[in-house]
Amino acid sequence: MRRLLLIALGLALCTSAVAQKRIGKGQVSGSFESQSIGYLDDKALGAAPDDHFGSNNYIKVDYMNGRFSAGIQCNAFLPVLQGYEDLADGFKFYLASKYIQWRDKNFEVLVGDIYDQYGNGLIYRSFEDRQLGLNNSLEGVRAGYNFGRFVAVKAMYGRPRLHTTYAKAWVRGADLSISLADICGIQESATLSLEGSFVNRYQKLDLEPDSFDYSPEIFAESGMDKTNLLMYSGRLNFSWNGLSLRGEYVHKSKDLSAFAPTAKSGYAILGEAAYSYKTFSITATYRQLSHMGTRVSLYDTTAANTLNYLPALTRQYTYMLANLEPYQVHSDGEMGGQVDVSYSLRSKNSRYRHWNFHANASIFYSTPSELNTQHKLLWLDVNADVERQWSKKWKTILLYSMQQRDNYGETITSHTVVGDVTYKIDRKKSLRLELQYLHSKEYEGDWVAGLLEFNIAPSWSVFASDMYNLGLTKVHYYNGGFSYTHNRTRVQLSYGRNRAGYVCSGGVCRYSPAYTGVSLMLTSSF
Amino acid sequence: MKKFFVTLFAVLGVATLSAQQLPDVKIEDITGKEVSVRSLATKPLIIAYWSIACKPCIQELNAINDALADWRKEADFNVIAVSIDDARLKATAKNMASARGWEFICLFDDNQELKRAMNVSLTPQSFVVDGEGNIIYSHSGYTPGSEESLFDKILDLKEGKTKEKKKK
Repeated sequence: MRRLLLIALGLALCTSAVAQKRIGKGQVSGSFESQSIGYLDDKALGAAPDDHFGSNNYIKVDYMNGRFSAGIQCNAFLPVLQGYEDLADGFKFYLASKYIQWRDKNFEVLVGDIYDQYGNGLIYRSFEDRQLGLNNSLEGVRAGYNFGRFVAVKAMYGRPRLHTTYAKAWVRGADLSISLADICGIQESATLSLEGSFVNRYQKLDLEPDSFDYSPEIFAESGMDKTNLLMYSGRLNFSWNGLSLRGEYVHKSKDLSAFAPTAKSGYAILGEAAYSYKTFSITATYRQLSHMGTRVSLYDTTAANTLNYLPALTRQYTYMLANLEPYQVHSDGEMGGQVDVSYSLRSKNSRYRHWNFHANASIFYSTPSELNTQHKLLWLDVNADVERQWSKKWKTILLYSMQQRDNYGETITSHTVVGDVTYKIDRKKSLRLELQYLHSKEYEGDWVAGLLEFNIAPSWSVFASDMYNLGLTKVHYYNGGFSYTHNRTRVQLSYGRNRAGYVCSGGVCRYSPAYTGVSLMLTSSF
Repeated sequence: MKKFFVTLFAVLGVATLSAQQLPDVKIEDITGKEVSVRSLATKPLIIAYWSIACKPCIQELNAINDALADWRKEADFNVIAVSIDDARLKATAKNMASARGWEFICLFDDNQELKRAMNVSLTPQSFVVDGEGNIIYSHSGYTPGSEESLFDKILDLKEGKTKEKKKK
């Protein structure tokens, strides 16, 4: 605890030293985020971890002066929260990123940790997701130049971050975008661009000669005989009035993924069409992946070890039961897509009365690979929701979702219904109630859930929820707490029992173990 | 522990006093063209961050949109809705912005460049910016009714209250 206080005080003093008003012509800004959990023993879940406390903290400070900017981010795990053990073994305080950047009208150069994305991210995306414990920024140099509106080019070189340190690998890449619409002088409302990228990862195959898993002999046996991995991407984007079309094709040279026993070359195809007219819109996306899982390092199999971005193309739910078992991408071989349709009907007499209709379907099949020899259904979700704003005071949402997922060869079907009612008591006070029911004949059977929220704008929110398994486990997952917000500072204190499960984002899923405890979240920026 | 939080709150309290400028970051607009965010601050702005999976963010934007016609009778300002949805959801986010009839300038920050530069840790997060690009107010989270505090700051700007406070 003494160590915690010292480090926390250090962080706070660091903030205090820089968080003053403008320094000369420059200015300082930053943010602080902290999540701490006190774990309690719970008969229904078993004993709490030996260390009954975990705390993940992040502080970021930036300095900006005209076209120049610089910044750092420090992370402190005091100790690391349960479920993030691959990030740090207990306590850890480290410099998570730093950069110096110069940005002109057409020119940019950055030295430090780079966050970037090429196209749709199928060959490269570096980003930070604290909930997933993911930060795969590239420590190196990046430069970019725009030739007016016609051509944009950028290139980078560096070593990728892996957890709290860096992978013993080097990554270089370049991205080119040509605006054909501007070159041909096509009218303002249309865009047409041709884009291309390449990414190379270089990693020696004899870094751990005595390792059981990663020796040169093991790599040779699995067919991984080249130190260089090459990925190419070609893209075409078009938009005109309410219509937009985009396509991407990716080729990847022979590589060893975290799951496949032998090295294979891969490819990806992405096609998307979107159309909107007044308050109607439709989007259809198709994607095919073959051996596209790409790691920053061949010497690690954790979820955060990822160089590219292969998200699940499925609906993102905010309701507990509809999100119980999210789809996990099969990067070695899957094909499928998603269709999303929205329509809004608005009253001519009152802005406070409208209907929003929304329907979505996603379906994915496996394509033959070493792990999946059959062409089988991996995921199906057909859902629709209707939102009705009845008056300034009342709003209701009704949602239905039918999901089918593959569970080691068995198809599990579930039907979920959600009712969501908001009642605005007066200008500042409001109540929100969610009732949810999931019906399934397989796996854990039926579930029921409810949530009640009372808000006093703009600062206070009090909530209580429960999720109960009526079928197999008969366990309650209850939660209650409050949050207080003052300008850019928000504190949330809650107590509850949390179900084990996967938290997924962008094709990366982190297993979050079950726990009962008290959680304190603090975020602030300045 | 108590001391730690007291210190932290005091520090952050001081920190919130400083006025910040909008960073000079370029991100995509709804047609796919890159736009400099700072160049949009020619009149007061409300900037609200959102994503498809952030329900209170969409609630906030709907509430602002519902009240916008009334608010614009009292003050001249723009609303910028910044989506932080990634590449997979960008097209859906663009469609949602159209279907909901949002009368905003919609920007799409699919690799969170603007979000990082403005130090947004969680959404919803909203800012009020004056006509010179200075951030004069910011609020995290959304509870029905809290959109009124954003408009109050726009009115303060119109009446010159914020400038007077800054001079003092």
